[in-house]
Amino acid sequence: MAFWAKGRSVSAAASFDLTVKTYAVFEAVSLALDGKTVLDGISLALSERRVGIVGLNGSGKSSLARLLNGLRLPTNGKVRLFGADTVSVAAQLPRHVGFVFQNPDHQAIFPTVEEEIAFGLTQIGHDRTSARAEAVGFLRRHRCEFLADKPIATLSEGQKQLVCILAVLVMQPCILVLDEPMTSLDGLAAKRILQKLQSLDQTLIMVSHDLSALTGFDRILWLEDGRIRMDGVPGDVLPAYAADLDRRAAAEVWEGDGL
Amino acid sequence: MIGRQMTGSSWLHRLPAPVKLLLLVAGGAMIFPVTDRSLLLVCLAAVLSLYASLRVEGLRQLLYLRPLLWLLVFFLGLHGLAGTWETGLSAVLRLLVMVLAANLVSVTTRMDDMINAIRPVFAPLRWIGLSPQKPALAISLVIRFAPVLLFVYGSLSDAYRARTGRATNWRLIAPLALQAVRMSENVAEALSARGGSRGLARCGKDTPQTGRALRLSTNEKG
Ligand SMILES: Nc1ncnc2c1ncn2[C@@H]1O[C@H](COP(=O)(O)OP(=O)(O)O)[C@@H](O)[C@H]1O
Ligand SMILES: [Mg+2]
Repeated sequence: MAFWAKGRSVSAAASFDLTVKTYAVFEAVSLALDGKTVLDGISLALSERRVGIVGLNGSGKSSLARLLNGLRLPTNGKVRLFGADTVSVAAQLPRHVGFVFQNPDHQAIFPTVEEEIAFGLTQIGHDRTSARAEAVGFLRRHRCEFLADKPIATLSEGQKQLVCILAVLVMQPCILVLDEPMTSLDGLAAKRILQKLQSLDQTLIMVSHDLSALTGFDRILWLEDGRIRMDGVPGDVLPAYAADLDRRAAAEVWEGDGL
Repeated sequence: MIGRQMTGSSWLHRLPAPVKLLLLVAGGAMIFPVTDRSLLLVCLAAVLSLYASLRVEGLRQLLYLRPLLWLLVFFLGLHGLAGTWETGLSAVLRLLVMVLAANLVSVTTRMDDMINAIRPVFAPLRWIGLSPQKPALAISLVIRFAPVLLFVYGSLSDAYRARTGRATNWRLIAPLALQAVRMSENVAEALSARGGSRGLARCGKDTPQTGRALRLSTNEKG
């Protein structure tokens, strides 16, 4: 992906101010991938502790989530996190904004759980020996010590997703961005992961197709075709979104959207 | 590694990673010119007995290598078509011994130890101002994910058979290559999402970041 290579001029470095209340600001942001407009004119200011993102497949949810931790940079407009333009701080952003991928198999880099956790610690400056010890301690604090030596490939889907979340949490980010973290899980594992997430102090920004998981959130963004269709409290947005899904399903057209 | 790291503390786990890698490289160099089939069979028996020394867990590792058999049969078939199946048999035996040995090292070595063991090889890069961390990480990732690709190959051929009723054939090369590219993109993204190969330690909260550094760290390709 050469999204960064388009002759972008990098402005003088801005610095993070982790104390600001409005942690993320989008100023007329658009994003084009391979010439296709994926996000179009998004303006936003986020200050809530729990933000949900809903929308159909292809509406741009994952792209919006990636803009939040510098995995993608806007084609036009500006994204600021903690006051800093992501274009100039993309390299340090993962320190403060953790990203949990939809598919745990796409996130795990290392073969065993303890190595995966320890990697996050070496990323923030631990040497290898202290990272190993601290990783085991961290797993113990999260009552997951039994996972330490397990090969990630042998875990259940729920355990894999838990490990991916812990591997990001160990880097002590202020914000956790999660892209459909429960989509590959069965009902029980999904409930457990949700409980775990709700117990966290971090600010959560979560993409989800499970609307019931978002009812306790502070704010919901509904994306449609790369734009924000609706933005408000769950009590307003979720029923409107659900009604729209019903309306589309009732149309029974197996063409265009929704396949 | 077929997505299955062997955990435990066998003698092979305890052997330092640099020693294992050196033995692997030396063994590979020695076996490379060998064409004598009986000698190759002895080598095969030797490497298999190493697996056996790890007991049940070690032998189970061999099962994960089954998709490899089909690739070897495929190579042998090519040689058969070309009328050189005797050369082919030696080549396939040699490959099998080397892959088995490499797999054994990779499933009994922590990846961070592996990176550390490989890094000194690239230390001269420092002279021209580059970090040896990147190529060491890249090689470790190749070792880590190459067998996962074998596994992908296995599932692709299952999918092919399910719909055609026919055995695997060369048509799978294209989707396999595609999967490999996609996999490398996923790994690259996973790596940059957590700060890239350079880590975040040296960029404190307020460190200015140059355009060059930004490019390096957002262009992780394993
Ligand atoms: N790397 C890419 N290159 C080109 N188009 C892409 C890429 N990633 C996503 N897209 C397109 O962007 C649109 C939005 O994708 P995405 O943000 O993944 O949506 P969502 O997560 O809501 O399903 C889709 O139409 C998708 O096909
Ligand atoms: Mg998505």
